[in-house]
Amino acid sequence: MTSTSTTSTPVATAPKSVLRARDLAVTASLDDAIVPVIRALSFDLAPGKILGLVGESGAGKSMIGRAIAQLLPPGFAITGGSLAFEGQDFLAMAPGRRRALLGRAIAFIPQAPLTALNPVMTIGRQFDEHLARIGGFDRAQRRTSAIAMLAAAQLPDAAALLDRYPHQLSGGMCQRVLIAMAFASNPRLVVADEPTTALDVTMHPQIIRLIADMQKDHGTAVIFITHDLRLAAQVCDEIIVMYAGRAIERGPARRVLSTPAHPYTRCLHLANPSMTERRSLYVIPDQMPGLRQLQQMSGCHFAPRCPVVAEHCRRTEPPNVTVAPDHVVACVRAEATPQISMLHSVGLAPDLVERPLLQVENLLKRYDTDRQWFRSRAVAAVNNVSFSIGSNEFVALVGESGSGKSTIAKLLVGLEPPSGGRILLDGHDLTDASAQTRALRVQSIQMVFQDPQSALNPRRRVAGIITQAMEAGLRHATADERNARALALLSEVGLSPDFATRFPAQLSGGQRQRINIARALCSLPRLLVADEIVSGLDVSIQAQLLNLLARLRSELGFAMLFISHDLSVVRHLCSRVLVMYRGDIVEQGPVESVFADPQHPHTRALLAAVPPDEPGAWPLLKATTPNGVTNSN
Amino acid sequence: MPGAVSRSLRSPRVLVALGLILCIACCAAFAPLIAPHDPADQNLLSILLPPAWASGGDPAFPLGTDSLGRCVLSRLIYGARTAMTVAVFASLGAMLIGSFLALISGYFGGAIDWIIGRAVDVWMSFPPVILSLILMFGLGTGLDKVVLAIILVDWTRFCRVLRSEVMIVTRRDYVAAARLLGFTHRQTLIREVLPATVPLLITLVSLEMAIAVVVEAILSFVGLGVRSDQAAWGQMIADARQYVYQSPSNLLLPILAIFVAVAAFNLLGDGLRRTLDVRLAEIGR
Repeated sequence: MTSTSTTSTPVATAPKSVLRARDLAVTASLDDAIVPVIRALSFDLAPGKILGLVGESGAGKSMIGRAIAQLLPPGFAITGGSLAFEGQDFLAMAPGRRRALLGRAIAFIPQAPLTALNPVMTIGRQFDEHLARIGGFDRAQRRTSAIAMLAAAQLPDAAALLDRYPHQLSGGMCQRVLIAMAFASNPRLVVADEPTTALDVTMHPQIIRLIADMQKDHGTAVIFITHDLRLAAQVCDEIIVMYAGRAIERGPARRVLSTPAHPYTRCLHLANPSMTERRSLYVIPDQMPGLRQLQQMSGCHFAPRCPVVAEHCRRTEPPNVTVAPDHVVACVRAEATPQISMLHSVGLAPDLVERPLLQVENLLKRYDTDRQWFRSRAVAAVNNVSFSIGSNEFVALVGESGSGKSTIAKLLVGLEPPSGGRILLDGHDLTDASAQTRALRVQSIQMVFQDPQSALNPRRRVAGIITQAMEAGLRHATADERNARALALLSEVGLSPDFATRFPAQLSGGQRQRINIARALCSLPRLLVADEIVSGLDVSIQAQLLNLLARLRSELGFAMLFISHDLSVVRHLCSRVLVMYRGDIVEQGPVESVFADPQHPHTRALLAAVPPDEPGAWPLLKATTPNGVTNSN
Repeated sequence: MPGAVSRSLRSPRVLVALGLILCIACCAAFAPLIAPHDPADQNLLSILLPPAWASGGDPAFPLGTDSLGRCVLSRLIYGARTAMTVAVFASLGAMLIGSFLALISGYFGGAIDWIIGRAVDVWMSFPPVILSLILMFGLGTGLDKVVLAIILVDWTRFCRVLRSEVMIVTRRDYVAAARLLGFTHRQTLIREVLPATVPLLITLVSLEMAIAVVVEAILSFVGLGVRSDQAAWGQMIADARQYVYQSPSNLLLPILAIFVAVAAFNLLGDGLRRTLDVRLAEIGR
């Protein structure tokens, strides 16, 4: 049904829906077994409405977009139900007619804008090709309309843009080009699959707003696929929350966020760090079942992780229950959902800042670019930066990509030598290159890497990885010592002992990141440098790791420089924040005061990029600039 | 890399190649036991005999005799010994030099990488066969000289290919992590970087063995290979060339031997590449 959040009069049973799904089922064949990937999905998308598909990775949300695009991966197929586009059966349609709809009446906005554009063709040629495909103007007309569309997408100097290649544009600009192309054919349906995930945080609101504006101007219906419940609640009219292939909750966007009816939705909401209050995060144990596990499951698929599970949940699949007009939930225990609060939560220890552990003074790093035979141009990646970290203090370093955050991490741990300035650990200068300094650094500072895939040697077993520090240097630990330490570390990071003999390839993303943390903690460092360690993870896994870090600090006592672009995570975990912009620290101070009263425009831009907790309005989405003025880049 | 060995042993390519190589290696190892005659024994009364099954053949010489009345079968078997020795030592030697330089070049980068890279460039700009002929001319003939010449020519192949692999692995975060945990450069190279390049190394070595067999045959053919009293396939071809109309089998048999040996090594290299290389493993064998 259509949402009534914006129109006060309820829409009469609308025969006119752009996309109507009835009991849609997608299955995958996996080692000669048939696994349901999407089960019994039904929805109606009315013209001009935005439907949000929300879920963590593996929920099946992207499969819906792919099913519409006819781009299911090999082995996957639509095996049941119906999908009707404007009343015509989309699945029974002749392939030629269906193809004619795709790209014209149905357009797509991809996740990774840079890979979606052809790198060897100019923007102009790609746009021209697209326009030539959708309708017969002549060349000059196509050029005029391409410029008009690009200008409508708030791209400055659209005419000059046509002669540029994709790599000359930023990710945000590429995405604007793709949005302009998607809306160029005046489509009736646009499918946007995580359109902001690959972009810088500061770009998110602008891209979201552009999609929303274009949607309004063209009266297009949009399917908005995202992992971010809060974002979906701000943008969409109606939301479907997916879990393990089933739509577990469907309702008006604001209602789903303010009064979630399904335990999973509520848990997800509570697992998301809040921007307004500092509370501990709700931890949903375990993780979403993978394809292989789905095969053996019966009953409600969320039952193994559900805090309010009842006995019959495990046996029978719950029916869809209507809890309010237009609000449907696949749970028989929906009345218990509001009771879920911090049942199993970890208290946040207050920061006990005793004395400065690390002092960074006028740190400078220059890189040579355009290197030719005898001349080069130096670019400062880190420009005279000074800050300090107290022992046992969690300090956040935030900023957009390219601002020099990762360079600071590399300088601190010694992966790169600084071009100037001092790094003092307990008053001992770490910038001189003696063996003694290196030994001190190895003992006291460790790093947790961003990409757990690349950070773990695929040829070593977990036990060998996490106790790797014990085989360094001249002191060699015995196998028994290492085993004992490995088991202790595994239990510290909340993994069972049988993980010791596994290889990294046998672990999930969250487990790999735990191993990553365990390795850094092996020799009990005093400072951890954590570079975007939760950014690629799902909300429920992220909550597990954030609580783990907080617990480990209270147990082991260490300071951390936490590099992140997600301010809500920073707000949750850290007490002080450093805001970096183009190599400079432009603002620093206690998290509460910086977030409450940001001084620098960049801090404000970062803060504005976080969708608020309340289902109310996101100021950036409301304030529409009429003449297309943009403050991008 | 668990299961790589069993996976490659399931590949038909690898199995066939290993079977062939095992046969040749057995011939080489047990040559004195298998060969019916001493390969240098001349029997001037029965020269240019055809194989035993052809008319005029002598059962004492199963594959006939050459222009000096030496047993072709025995010479083929002893020739396998020469070919295998060269293949093993030359490829291992080239691997040691090439991969050592590749490791330090790809791992440290910078000036070291530049110097080694330019050295490889200059080295590779000589035509390889000419270079080895010049080397043999300077070094003189002999089995050890052949091995040395091949090593000196072909280390560049290992250096080039392996360097890029080392650079890719060195950029992985786990290599940085090892350094942060206190590993010295040597420890990092040996325990973290080198194991990741082993699949590629094995593949390169088996391909290099095929090349070594060919180069040894060429050098022996022009008389700059092993000493003339040692049996070698290239030498047999050179001898048989003059009598090709009277006794074509004398020419064809050593060519066949070279063909089988080279094909086996190439097949092995290809099979191993498909099973050991993670990037190709998914494409199928």
